[in-house]
Amino acid sequence: MALIDTLAQNWPKLIDGVGTTLALTGLGALIAAMAAPPLALLRAQGSALAQAPLRIYISFIRGTPILAQLFLVFYGSGQFRVELQSLGLWGFFRDPFNCAVLVFAINSCAYQTEILRGGIQAVAPGEIEAGRAIGMSRLTVLRRIVFPHAYRIAWPALGNEIILLMKASALASVVTVFDLMGRTRQIFSRSFDFSIYFWAAVLYLAMTISFVLLWRLAERRLSRHMTGQTPQGVQ
Amino acid sequence: MQPQPSQDVVLSAQNIHKSFGTHEVLKGISLDSRNHDVISILGSSGSGKSTFLRCLNFLEIPTSGQVSVHGEEIVVRNGRPGDPRQIERMRQRLGMVFQQFNLWTHRTVLENVMEGPVQVKRRPKAEARDQAEALLARVGLAERMHMYPAQLSGGQQQRVAIARALAMEPDAILFDEPTSALDPELVGEVLKVMQDLAAEGRTMIVVTHEMAFAREVSTEVVFLHQGRVAEQGTPDKLFNHPDSEAFARFISNIR
Repeated sequence: MALIDTLAQNWPKLIDGVGTTLALTGLGALIAAMAAPPLALLRAQGSALAQAPLRIYISFIRGTPILAQLFLVFYGSGQFRVELQSLGLWGFFRDPFNCAVLVFAINSCAYQTEILRGGIQAVAPGEIEAGRAIGMSRLTVLRRIVFPHAYRIAWPALGNEIILLMKASALASVVTVFDLMGRTRQIFSRSFDFSIYFWAAVLYLAMTISFVLLWRLAERRLSRHMTGQTPQGVQ
Repeated sequence: MQPQPSQDVVLSAQNIHKSFGTHEVLKGISLDSRNHDVISILGSSGSGKSTFLRCLNFLEIPTSGQVSVHGEEIVVRNGRPGDPRQIERMRQRLGMVFQQFNLWTHRTVLENVMEGPVQVKRRPKAEARDQAEALLARVGLAERMHMYPAQLSGGQQQRVAIARALAMEPDAILFDEPTSALDPELVGEVLKVMQDLAAEGRTMIVVTHEMAFAREVSTEVVFLHQGRVAEQGTPDKLFNHPDSEAFARFISNIR
């Protein structure tokens, strides 16, 4: 079986690539997730003036290909090497992995902000009012009422966004990152055995399916209050 | 038995005006609520009664006029609360029960009742839990405390909402049409709880359409008509010898 042989010969490199892909996606999504809540809040409740730069950023990210954004940072930083060196940042931008994480974080943050904004705006006003009426501060209302609901509402869309990001992370291979796609291309260029792309696809699929299952598990936990069933341990 | 009226004014509203755009909903309403008062606010739809109640705890900010709690006046500057902390402090002393219950649907019944004491008053959790369990037992929902609001009937949800308000140990409780969203067969259980609260001397301000409650439970009835107090007094006086034609018409329409 030629197909199995291909895998047997190359699996350590492929697994290494899987690790890099997971790191790229995970770091990018995580950094984006940390920046998104305050931006989403600004987008939902901020003044038009405060929102203006945010809207420009979001429409730029959503309106341009992620590959173009990646080239912009990767090749663009090379153009400003001297300036970046003087700022002590060249060490960061020299590594294509860092450039890719930065681009994925900036890109995903725009999408996550918009998704979370929708969640924030869908929170029942009555529940917010009940929080204010009991004497909660603005911050407590956000922390205890608005964000828990907003994340529950936004959860499936956020999962989708992370899957899209994982698949888009294959673009990092174009700027010499050895993620799963990078490794696959490397193997192919030496062997011209196209079946390696089949195994790459299988591994991407496995990552996506595992992620979907985990995400769904978390969603079920977040939705306990919507199931109409008695919580466990009571009955 | 009527509790002895005390002269201690819990909540005082003076000359409250409220406009939405060019539409003036409240045209100068004043109301003093003393300890143990149970004040029913009546009025047809659009009379401004809910708006007035919401002005009392600043869920709506009055366009002009003063609200004070225990003599402390709420500061308003340029149509905004002068000091958010002051409003938060004042709201802790005024419970509120909403028409649509507004329970926090992502928290269990017990968590709903504990939320205020723990998050706002910074009480220890164990203490808040004991208190919440006792309050839920009082409103007859001890067995439901681990359920989520969506698993309860409207009447049960409203009783949880009352327990949630009581957990803050407020000086007065505002009720905004607490039975209007309920199926007719569930109204009784909520009114019963409110009646018990009145009997133990709680200070209550109740916007309602329940004439029997206004007549039999409240110590004072205020009738709003077109944004003004059209009639005010004891239930006996209003229901038996109304001065205003508007109130006479209002009660004859309701019957």
